[in-house]
Amino acid sequence: MLSSSLIFALTGVALFALGLRGALLHPALLGRVLAINVSGAGVFMLLVALAYRGPAGNPDPLPHALVLTGIVVAVSATALALAMGRRLRQLEEQADD
Amino acid sequence: MTDPLVWPVLLPLIAALFALVWPRRAAAIAVTGMAATLAASVWLLWRVAEQGSLVHALGGWQPGLGIALRADALAALLLLMSTLVGFATTWYANGYFTDTALRERFWPLWLLLITALHALLLSGDLFNLYVTLELMGLSAVVLAALGGGAEALRAALRYLVLGLIGSLAFLAGVALIYGRYGVLDMAALAPLLQPEPTAWTALALMSVGILIKSALFPLHFWLPPAHANAPAPVSALLSALVVKAAFYLLLRLWLDLFQPVVTQNAAWLLGWLGAAAVIWGSWQALRAERLKLMAAYSTVAQIGYLFLFFPLLTALPEGPARDTAFGALVLLALTHGFAKSGLFLAAGVVQRQAGHDRIAELGGTARNLPLTTFALALAGVALIGLPPSGGFLAKWQLMSTAVQLQFWPWLLVLGTGSLLAAAYVFRLLSHAFGAGDGAQRKLTSPGTELPALLLVLCATLVLGLGAAPLWDLLSAPPALEVSP
Amino acid sequence: MIIDAWLLLDLILALLVLALGWASLASPDLKRGVTLFIAFGMLLALIWARLRAPDLALAEAVIGAGLTGALLLSALRDDPGLERPGGPGRDGSGWWLGLLTLALAGVMGWALTHALVWHPNSGQAQAIAAALPESGVSNPVTAVLLNFRAYDTFLELAVLLVAVLGILALGPARPAYRPAGPVLAGLSRWLLPLLVVTAGYLLWVGAHAPGGAFQAGALLAAAAVLLRLAGQADAGLPGPAARRWLLVAGVAAFIAVGLAGLLGSGAFLQYPAGWAGSLILLIESAATLSIAVTLALAFIGGRQSEIPVSPVEKESTPC
Repeated sequence: MLSSSLIFALTGVALFALGLRGALLHPALLGRVLAINVSGAGVFMLLVALAYRGPAGNPDPLPHALVLTGIVVAVSATALALAMGRRLRQLEEQADD
Repeated sequence: MTDPLVWPVLLPLIAALFALVWPRRAAAIAVTGMAATLAASVWLLWRVAEQGSLVHALGGWQPGLGIALRADALAALLLLMSTLVGFATTWYANGYFTDTALRERFWPLWLLLITALHALLLSGDLFNLYVTLELMGLSAVVLAALGGGAEALRAALRYLVLGLIGSLAFLAGVALIYGRYGVLDMAALAPLLQPEPTAWTALALMSVGILIKSALFPLHFWLPPAHANAPAPVSALLSALVVKAAFYLLLRLWLDLFQPVVTQNAAWLLGWLGAAAVIWGSWQALRAERLKLMAAYSTVAQIGYLFLFFPLLTALPEGPARDTAFGALVLLALTHGFAKSGLFLAAGVVQRQAGHDRIAELGGTARNLPLTTFALALAGVALIGLPPSGGFLAKWQLMSTAVQLQFWPWLLVLGTGSLLAAAYVFRLLSHAFGAGDGAQRKLTSPGTELPALLLVLCATLVLGLGAAPLWDLLSAPPALEVSP
Repeated sequence: MIIDAWLLLDLILALLVLALGWASLASPDLKRGVTLFIAFGMLLALIWARLRAPDLALAEAVIGAGLTGALLLSALRDDPGLERPGGPGRDGSGWWLGLLTLALAGVMGWALTHALVWHPNSGQAQAIAAALPESGVSNPVTAVLLNFRAYDTFLELAVLLVAVLGILALGPARPAYRPAGPVLAGLSRWLLPLLVVTAGYLLWVGAHAPGGAFQAGALLAAAAVLLRLAGQADAGLPGPAARRWLLVAGVAAFIAVGLAGLLGSGAFLQYPAGWAGSLILLIESAATLSIAVTLALAFIGGRQSEIPVSPVEKESTPC
């Protein structure tokens, strides 16, 4: 029985797996950071899809709150990872000089 | 105010905020904060020993709608260990960092890591556990990279990426749980879980996430470089507490929450991975040239020992035999926590004095740093599992349970692991007691060497001799209180 | 067979978002990958709106696509060497890992279908709706975030703090941008006040409509990013001492209110009857400031006192 919830839940799962693969395999740090974000988006989509109650009913607010928390945590982690990567490159370039 | 559950989380956090806005007093604030937290965790253990499991419904809301803090004997014991180790390492870290700018940045992050550990141990809600895992992971990563060079940063970055993957896997499991059962509170969830696809998949996802963070073979590869290159007090916390907190979560899931869902085969899988960790970790520790790298690989091995318990625990029916085995598991975890942190602190002292930590060139350490060498030796005693340490009692019990259940391979694993551990400990000590000028005695205050010594004394004497009176607490099966 | 129009739209959105996600990760050119990722973020915001999650749509647009996009582009700008591989053994092991993740997706999909189709669960929606009148706000998402599950939000602010402390500890800030040309300068003169006012509005309205501290804080951070892109190195932020206070403001507000609840009613973060709405607004205001400063500092990327100016930017603009 295909419903909007199921469509987006399965899409979320697919994004999660896709991002997971990228996070492990992508050669560049930036690519891995992108992949982690895509994977996170997949989990968020899963949660929001589970909360959906159709065009008429009110959605379950709890998963929405969880996803909002997740979005903020994700941007913090992204910023940290990028800053660390930048610092590492600086140190490596200094060592090369 | 009569509830001890919030204080172990709030006190280090308040200290962190003060340390941030008042950087000149940061060290004093940290020590005070940790002392207060220590008092709070003793109080918590006291109350749990009297009353059994405790619960605190945050916001006054029913758990399920709101979040609850919960503690049973297992959580309270680990919390006390965490606070004791945290306090000793805080004391040590006070003397360790000489660069002022680094010190200012260190203290708030340190206290935030302690907050994260305590928040994780006391959390009673699955999504809240995800948030605490992220808090713990990020602060551990930053501390591991602090003040270090490219090597430390590279290892910390790998730790970060893998940690984030693990947290996402955990969150995916939590999402599935909420979708199927509609509740995130662990005590409310426990009676609802049955063996069915959602529960299996969720448990698998959450477990993989946690296994990455607790560095079980083969997901352990990030640990040795990260722990070996971090500053000594950070390594102590990482090996003794952070990895242990992740393991605690696994215990909570497998033995408490998902107990009806767990299969014997799955437990066997964990057990065999643990066995591989014991052999591989001990072997690599023997081959390590640096003291801190040896200690890091030793952590991989010791975590493996903890996983050996899983198939035993699931094979035994509920009752005294199972409780005894569980008590041994907790005792082993506690012993390792104290011993490993002491080992890293002692290694830090040696590294400071000698300027390096290459084992082969550490001759003369015994002569110049007798207290520290004694601490190293005692840590080794606990890690090998010699009497009277807690490690001995725990491994002995592990062996007898394995014999009782006729799991013969475990005897081989235990024997080989202990032999290898003895080998790498004696290798270290033989160099330390050898001739040479590896560690010149520079001016050092006893305050630097004492924390390590006290920690390993806990591992060897206190836990060894105190295991019997504490046995009721140690062997209490994990069970979270249902209603506030 | 008649397919429901909404389902068709959903299928198209789903395929599109999968395609964008795949393309952004598969692209060998990182700049293109980042651009596709920003588009992915915007499409996500659309999907949240479609799934009746307007709070999330707002947050995703500002934070997920906007700020994350700015961070990623800024990273590309500063470090063209980012393309260098940064890890062990990445080639050749690709295909079996792909198969493994495919299997994982399959298993999860099966578990999911089992749950959604045969055992749908209403979750906490009813309990939340029942408790909403006491919560002090009428936006249920805000009620969950700032009342029922306030402890999560509290710890999450601590996560933000850790991340920014880590970023600040790592080294000097990123190179500044040259002063803006007339177009950007003119635009920012209009945009900045608009952003600040909208942020204030979102904070206020979050109690009874989509919005709240996170969206407001992120919008303020976006204003700071705009200032920095227009050439102002400190992005309009106050000095280092004030910054520390602002960084801790959110967590401190939570602790203060929480302790008041502990001493009064007995549970941490229990709001006294009738005060919930005001206390939530208080916490949210403090949190908005903290979030704004945190995200702005994360973008600037390091210790303020040592902002270098990159050589290219030293040339004056002929405009």
